[in-house]
Amino acid sequence: MEFARLERHPAVAMAGVDKFYGKYQALRAVDLEIQRGEKLVVCGPSGSGKSTLIRCINALEPHDAGTISVNGIALGRDRASILDVRREAGMVFQQFNLFPHMTILENCTFAPRTSLGMARDKADALAMRYLARVHIADQAQKFPAQLSGGQQQRVAIARALCMEPRIMLFDEPTSALDPEMVGEVLRAIEELTADGMTMVCVTHEMGFARRVADRCLFMDQGEIVEAAPAGDFFDRPKSPRLRAFLAQILK
Amino acid sequence: MRFDPVLAWGSMPALLDGALMTLLVTFTVMAVGGPLGLAVSFARMSRRRPLAWFGAAYVSVCRGAPSLILLYLIYNGLAQLDIVRDGPLWFLFQHAFFCVVIAFSLNHSGYIVEIMRGGMEAVPAGLLEAGASLGLSPRQVLWKIRIPIAIRYGLKAYQNEAMLFMKSTAAVSAVTLTDLTAAANEIFYMTYDPFTPIITAGAIYWVINNAMRIGFGLLERRLNRHLGLA
Ligand SMILES: Nc1ncnc2c1ncn2[C@@H]1O[C@H](COP(=O)(O)OP(=O)(O)OP(=O)(O)O)[C@@H](O)[C@H]1O
Ligand SMILES: [Mg+2]
Repeated sequence: MEFARLERHPAVAMAGVDKFYGKYQALRAVDLEIQRGEKLVVCGPSGSGKSTLIRCINALEPHDAGTISVNGIALGRDRASILDVRREAGMVFQQFNLFPHMTILENCTFAPRTSLGMARDKADALAMRYLARVHIADQAQKFPAQLSGGQQQRVAIARALCMEPRIMLFDEPTSALDPEMVGEVLRAIEELTADGMTMVCVTHEMGFARRVADRCLFMDQGEIVEAAPAGDFFDRPKSPRLRAFLAQILK
Repeated sequence: MRFDPVLAWGSMPALLDGALMTLLVTFTVMAVGGPLGLAVSFARMSRRRPLAWFGAAYVSVCRGAPSLILLYLIYNGLAQLDIVRDGPLWFLFQHAFFCVVIAFSLNHSGYIVEIMRGGMEAVPAGLLEAGASLGLSPRQVLWKIRIPIAIRYGLKAYQNEAMLFMKSTAAVSAVTLTDLTAAANEIFYMTYDPFTPIITAGAIYWVINNAMRIGFGLLERRLNRHLGLA
C-alpha cells in the first residue's frame, strides 16, 4: 500500500497554485512536479516567493488556489492531511529555530516522542544516530545557545531527520551563517543526498547547486521563470531575467 | 532616634509571628494567583471574542483597583449580600484570611496575565513553525514550546511583581490579620518606641525580600542557563 502510493506519485505535485498575503500575490499559478529522489535547488531574488513556495509544500502557509500533493497525499485545509504531509516533509529554516529550552538531544527526540509516542531509549538512539550523521553527536547534552551557528544548523537538520521524512525542505540553510561555517552545513546536506532522499533547497550557493542539484529553478515575482539542470541553468540561462539575476549574484 | 536592642530582641517572637502571616499570605496568593493568572491569560489571548473581552476586563479591574479596595469590597461588601451570607461559601467568606487571599490573588493574577501575554508574544514565530513542521499539533506546540519559553521570558517581570506584592501585603491589617507591619505597630502602641519595632520589622522585610530574590535567582539560573538570558 505504502509502497504503491510512493510508486505511483511524484514526491511533490503542485498545479495552478496561487498564494496571497492579503492583496499581495506571492505565488502565481505555480505548476511544479518534483520526482522521488530528485534534488531541486531554488533560487531567485529576494521577495520572489521562494520561501512561500516551500512553506506551502508543508502547509506552514495555506495556499489559496490550485492543488498540492505530497507523495500522493492531497493537501487540504483539514488538520489530518496537514499532519500527514508534514510527516512526509521535514523542514530546515534559515534561523535554525532550535528549541532553546531543550538540550540538543531533547530537540531531536522531542517530536518523535511527542507526536509518534516513541519510547525514550528508542528516541535517544535514533537521535544519536542522526546527530552522528551530521557530525555533532558529541554536543548532545549541550543547549543550543552553547553551539555555533553552523553546529546549530546541523542539529536542526538532524532534528528534522529524526521524524524520518521522505522529503527535506531547506529554506536558505546557510544564509544566516558566518562564511566559515557555510561549508560544514552544505557538506552535511550533501552527504544526506546520497541515500535517495528527495530534497528541495532554496540557496544561492552555486557550487553546491552544481554538485548536488538534478534541477535548478529560478523564481521571480511569484512565478517559476526557468527550470533546467544545473549546468544549463548557470552556463546557458535562457531567460533575460535569470541572466540578469546570475550576473548580479556573480558580481 | 534611639534603637533599643533589648526591646528588639524581646519583640522577636511577636514580630516573627507577624512575619509568618506575611509569608503565609504571600505564598498562598502566589500559589492561587499564579495558576489563576495563567488561566486568565489564555482567555485574554483567545481568538474567541467573548473570552478575550473577559480577559481584558479582568486585567483592567484587577490590576486597576488597589488591592486594599478589592479587599474592603470582598471582606466588608460581600458580607452584606444575602446570597453570600446564606450561600454555601459563607463559612469561607467570613474568614479574613480567605478574603485576603481572594482579593490579593485577583490583583496579583491581573499582573500575571499581562506578564504572561508579553512573554507569549515574545516567543519567536520561527520556533512555533519549527514545532508545527515537525508534525506537532497546535496544542503540543502551545504547551511544550510556547508556554515554557514564555514563562522563562516572564520570570524577571514576575519577580519584580512578586516582591512588590510581598511588601504590599501590609494592607491585610485592615481586616484584622496581624502581619509583620501590624505586629510592629502593636509593639509601638505598647512601648511608645517609634523606632525599634518598626526598624526591626523593616530588617525582617529586607531578609524576606532578599530570600525571595535569591530564590528567584536560583530558579532563573535553572531555567535560563541555556537561553542566554541569565
Ligand atoms: N507573512 C507575510 N505577510 C505578508 N507578506 C508576506 C509574508 N511573507 C512573505 N510576504 C511577501 O511575499 C513575497 C514573497 O516572500 P518570500 O518570503 O516567499 O520571498 P523569498 O523569495 O523567500 O525572499 P528572500 O530571499 O528575501 O527570503 C514578498 O514580497 C514578501 O514581502
Ligand atoms: Mg525566503
